[in-house]
Amino acid sequence: MTRLLIYINRHANILLLLSLPCVLGLCVSCSKKQDTGEDAKVTTLGSIEVTAQLLEIRGKIIDDPLYDYAHVMKYKVLQVHRGKVDGETIYVGHYNPAEPRSSVADARVRDIGGNLRRFKATDIHRIALEVPIDEYYMGGIINKYFGESEDPIYWALWTNLVIK
Amino acid sequence: MKTHFGIFSFVVIAGIAQFAGWTLAVNSPPAGKHDDPRTAELAKEVSKKGWIIYAARTSKGNWDLFIMRPDGSDIKNITNTPLFNEGLPRFSPDASRILYRRIALSESFDNNLHGMQGELVFADSDGGNAEVYGGQGEYTWASWDPEGERIACMSVKGIYFVELATKKVVGRLDRRGFFQQLTWSPDGKWLCGVANSFGTGWTVARMEIATGTTNAVSSMNNCTPDWFPDSQQLIFSYRPANQEGSEYGWTQLWMADAEGKHRSLVYGEDGRHVYGGAVSPDGIYVLFTGNMQEDGDASGSGAPMALMRLRDTPTIGGQSKALRKVHGSTKDGPVLVLPDGWEPHWTYSVLGAVK
Repeated sequence: MTRLLIYINRHANILLLLSLPCVLGLCVSCSKKQDTGEDAKVTTLGSIEVTAQLLEIRGKIIDDPLYDYAHVMKYKVLQVHRGKVDGETIYVGHYNPAEPRSSVADARVRDIGGNLRRFKATDIHRIALEVPIDEYYMGGIINKYFGESEDPIYWALWTNLVIK
Repeated sequence: MKTHFGIFSFVVIAGIAQFAGWTLAVNSPPAGKHDDPRTAELAKEVSKKGWIIYAARTSKGNWDLFIMRPDGSDIKNITNTPLFNEGLPRFSPDASRILYRRIALSESFDNNLHGMQGELVFADSDGGNAEVYGGQGEYTWASWDPEGERIACMSVKGIYFVELATKKVVGRLDRRGFFQQLTWSPDGKWLCGVANSFGTGWTVARMEIATGTTNAVSSMNNCTPDWFPDSQQLIFSYRPANQEGSEYGWTQLWMADAEGKHRSLVYGEDGRHVYGGAVSPDGIYVLFTGNMQEDGDASGSGAPMALMRLRDTPTIGGQSKALRKVHGSTKDGPVLVLPDGWEPHWTYSVLGAVK
């Protein structure tokens, strides 16, 4: 361990020089990844389109290949692109949320998708929606806000990650 | 010796049946052999009490519909359609007709989507005069009314009632979260099904047809509800949370009053998932399937069906040490094991063309 520290100390400048391009590269790639989430699907599917921040995923996301269900998540609406939403906070049902959006469509629910790989609170999503969920989806729903909120539940059709 | 004779008899019968063009179910064991005298008595008691209809895989690999006596004897393949899979058979209230769903051979039944798959078919209760009613994916989750003249169906747009003779939609209701396994009550006043509108996934619920009002009967991890003949109680499958020794848990057969005030265990067995509960027409017995694999009934070859007296509830099968800790006092009555099948249904009626 001591030898390693001596080696690092002697070659610190060289290591710094070598790491500089990597840091610069990361910055460049970071700046390239800025993404509004806009694509042909999210701007056309459903009657509502919003950019919203995922505030909370209440309850555990279940990854059970035998059962399909929608999990209701809480969002803060940052911008409404199409249609109308009631209030700043909305509750959105995502189908089989353990699945990446690109592969989530199946025999029960065909016209859904997006580029979001995993749901993480505080992330920002651009979502195409319909409301109420019951008119567009017939299946199990995990709603941990039941009894707490009477707001309608939106149905997520297309979910893209937004990178600021 | 008796066992050898039983197997020999079965092989001979199977051979004759095959020669005659019938296809037997994969697991059609000879009836009449019981190690437990109580089970033998139960088999004798039910042997002439009408017929059970069920779906089962044939030796050719497809699903056909079968009928048998409630003791597992006199098995008959009533569809014999090697180019289709058939499932979800239900006798009409007078048992003169059956309805079921038929899917392509290339398609598999899904335990949660089966009522929406393929085509709805009506036939005589011996399988004759089969008639496809509507197209693919139409008349989903169809259930008979008490007169056998209408069906209740459910799609994403709502619940609707169809007059069979005219195909006219004669009524509509909002789904109110109901999403699968819709069943019309024997008194015609109620629907039961699985609903998502009570905060948990898979709540067995009841809906009053006159008003559309709903109530939860059993919350959290419930499915396959069916009515007792009195329309006041429901039988259903329920997987309680936090079961000892099994992270996923085992699905058990439960019953509850339709108002959802009290539910109780009917049959459970650690190591088996119990589904397909169906009460006999007089409310004395109950049928079910017990699969070692969750959701294995439709994707596999069904599961051993079983029959027990409701007066023997709760009964726990096998060692089931963890389950017995939860339910200390059980009756452990006789359970008559029947051939492999899926979603059985029972009538006491005499089937017209079945000799």
